[in-house]
Amino acid sequence: MNRRDFIKQAVLSGAALALPLGADSLRSLAEAAGRPDLAVARGVPPARITRAAVAELGGMGRFVSRGDIVVVKPNIGWDRTPEYAANTNPEVVAELVRLCYEAGAKRVKVFDFPVNDARRTYRQSGIAAAATAAGAQVSYIDDRKFKDTALRGQLLKSWPLYTEILAADKVINVPIAKVHGIATLTLGMKNWMGVMGGWRGRIHQRIDESLVDIARVIRPSLIVLDAVRILVDNGPQGGSLADVRRLDTVIAGTDQVAVDAFGTTLFGMKADTLGCVRIGHRAGLGNMDLSRLLIKRVRV
Amino acid sequence: MGRHLTMTRLRRLSQALFLLLFLWLFLQTESQGANELGYPVKIFLDADPLLWITTALASRSFYGAFALALTVIVATILLGRIFCGWICPLGTLHQLAGKLKRERSAARRKGGGSITVVRLLEGLRGRRNAVSRRHNSVTGAGSTGSRQETTAGIEVPRRRVRNWGQYRIKYLLLVFILVLSMLGVQAAGLFDPLTLLIRSLSLSVYPFLSYALRSIFTMLYEWHIPLVSSGAEVVYELLKRSVLPFSQPLFFQGTAIGLLFFALLALNLRESRFWCKYLCPLGALLGLLSRFALLKRSVSEGCNDCGRCRRECQGGAIGAKGAEWVAAECLYCFNCDDPCPQHAVSFGFSSRPASFSLDLGRRRVLGAAVAGALTAPLLRITPLARAGAAEPTLIRPPGALAEEEFLKRCVRCGECMKVCITGGLQPTLLEAGLEGIWTPVLVPRIGCCEYRCTLCGQVCPTGAIGRLGLREKAATKIGLAMIDKGRCLPFAHDMSCIVCEEVCPTSPKAIWLEEVRVRDRRGREMLLKQPHVDLELCVGCGICENKCPVLGRPAITVTSLGESRSRDNQLLLVP
Repeated sequence: MNRRDFIKQAVLSGAALALPLGADSLRSLAEAAGRPDLAVARGVPPARITRAAVAELGGMGRFVSRGDIVVVKPNIGWDRTPEYAANTNPEVVAELVRLCYEAGAKRVKVFDFPVNDARRTYRQSGIAAAATAAGAQVSYIDDRKFKDTALRGQLLKSWPLYTEILAADKVINVPIAKVHGIATLTLGMKNWMGVMGGWRGRIHQRIDESLVDIARVIRPSLIVLDAVRILVDNGPQGGSLADVRRLDTVIAGTDQVAVDAFGTTLFGMKADTLGCVRIGHRAGLGNMDLSRLLIKRVRV
Repeated sequence: MGRHLTMTRLRRLSQALFLLLFLWLFLQTESQGANELGYPVKIFLDADPLLWITTALASRSFYGAFALALTVIVATILLGRIFCGWICPLGTLHQLAGKLKRERSAARRKGGGSITVVRLLEGLRGRRNAVSRRHNSVTGAGSTGSRQETTAGIEVPRRRVRNWGQYRIKYLLLVFILVLSMLGVQAAGLFDPLTLLIRSLSLSVYPFLSYALRSIFTMLYEWHIPLVSSGAEVVYELLKRSVLPFSQPLFFQGTAIGLLFFALLALNLRESRFWCKYLCPLGALLGLLSRFALLKRSVSEGCNDCGRCRRECQGGAIGAKGAEWVAAECLYCFNCDDPCPQHAVSFGFSSRPASFSLDLGRRRVLGAAVAGALTAPLLRITPLARAGAAEPTLIRPPGALAEEEFLKRCVRCGECMKVCITGGLQPTLLEAGLEGIWTPVLVPRIGCCEYRCTLCGQVCPTGAIGRLGLREKAATKIGLAMIDKGRCLPFAHDMSCIVCEEVCPTSPKAIWLEEVRVRDRRGREMLLKQPHVDLELCVGCGICENKCPVLGRPAITVTSLGESRSRDNQLLLVP
């Protein structure tokens, strides 16, 4: 897909998805049927749309209880500043931390197992500073805290996972939407690579099955997909501003498959083109059929 | 009395402060995530006149910051070897190690025994009358005039006769090093006290202490003892934030370099400041400069040669008689000043020439010079320098000068290896020839060159590794990556893997994927992405080799071929 096609498709799919929003009848239907499956908030600044998207799902109080220890897991994989869209937007992360504390969380932990040097990624991404300012406990990965964990997956029987994420009361996944390799994307489920220890590069042999196996064990309470800026080429670490698109959007949901399925549409793709979405759907981890999902859109 | 006491106290305070400053700067030689370190971590090396002079001689150019080195030179000319006695962190460590010996030496004094190492060195035919009266020998080249027997042959009961011959070793080493540097070989770094200390700490002592501490805390952590384990974690966290390295540093030859360092420290058990007295070439250089120092020791008539000052003297600068004082060997510790029972010793400014000086001996100096002159070509008879014969594994840090120039400047301080964010910079053994021992080489399998990091160039004291801007860094090739299709999963084994492409940091990526249809063993058609390296875009950072899941012998490896710094070691028609 070249750049022009991408823009065309992104605009078209964006417009198509925006259409039913105006209809009041649908909105009342949504409320009648309960919470939406996905909340898509557009606008600026990133903190406000994050808050708005979570509010549409019923507010953070639905996911975090008083006294909880919460892990907010962003993507801090690369030594890049936020405008390059290689790491999760720091304002989105910080706002989620604030929301957790507002909901009564006892402690919010933020960490990732980066590919580049952790000190550089934590700093350049802006996440360490923003999350710390919001009150989070930001820490580097401690090798001792990987424990071989039974996955009983379709492919992986066990893998060393980071115990802090397994020990947390609640887990919130905050990935960023990026391209990865040719025509594949890194969205929510791919973000779990950041809690994998061992020689994790090996999972690329059968990455989609592996990711679903991990996602089935971690089970986040909430997923907030950061599409404030998305990376459309040279992923997953980018390096050129020409490869970045500004969508000013975040997508929130509780279904890992549904969030990733929606994420594909940001790139003008179909949900089932992404292997982990397809396999996750088949395995019953979630629903990739966007037409059957209640998607709530808000503009801020 | 009070004034004298103040001088030794002041000196100790100065030593403590400089040692702490040195160690603190050493700890700061580590990334905090920003692109700059924020502290002038190499100022001790900047202040080292030996490194400055030899690098200037070898490279025939003056580089960067030498104001501090000049300051030390001027200070030495005026005040003598105060650098050795008041500042040098290695000297302070030697002195501290020498404290361990004090009890034993007191016992030995009673027994009147002599020292094995000293005897050993006497075997090198050091003549005992090497100290000559100033009017006999001014320049250090031995005069043929009559020498007064000042120390030789005078057996003083319960007093070891100082053997001045061994003091020459460091001067001869200095001559050897200076001649080598004039011929373009930078050997000072191997023997210089500051590079020796930083190298030993960086590559060995610090990794060793870190390993030991981490092992203890990991053990406590894994035992899950109530209260103890959680308490230990708090302490561990504090240590991690203060003195422990971000990740465990591991270096080739770390054990050997550490053993050498501890052996040098152990020499203090034989004689305190053994290194400073007999071996240190920087001490020798400063000693030469301090021959005419204005600050001088004088002894009044009251001296009864009790030998007290002689025993306290850190530099071993006092001869059999209390008044015999060799300016070049004095560290200005002021230890002779305080304890003198007769209050006969004083220091003051004076322009009259010192009465004693070391006689190096013309033939010895000539011998050391000839040895240096012969060593230079001996080191150079290696085919590595021939066009097309560059060692492929010798991947130098980004910004490193062309090999010949690099070797003239690199002083093996190990700062670049200490600061390297991935730990990939390792000391060479023989990859760069014997001449290049302990110079930095990137071993991608251990750690890649972090794409946007320029720290090694920032800490290099001599400009052997240039200081690069981020833009320059991105355009600097340290080598090229190539794929081994016999081992690469998508090529050789029909398995999917895109790791090298994923981690490739350039934009656009130097590694690109080609989608191909292949058939597996059962004839099933499958779609695979096979990686290729775009040699024009590849900078040789080695992250692909580092992350390649084909362990042991990776399916993609970087060699020095294509490195920007070399004219000959090229592949592309238009690099």
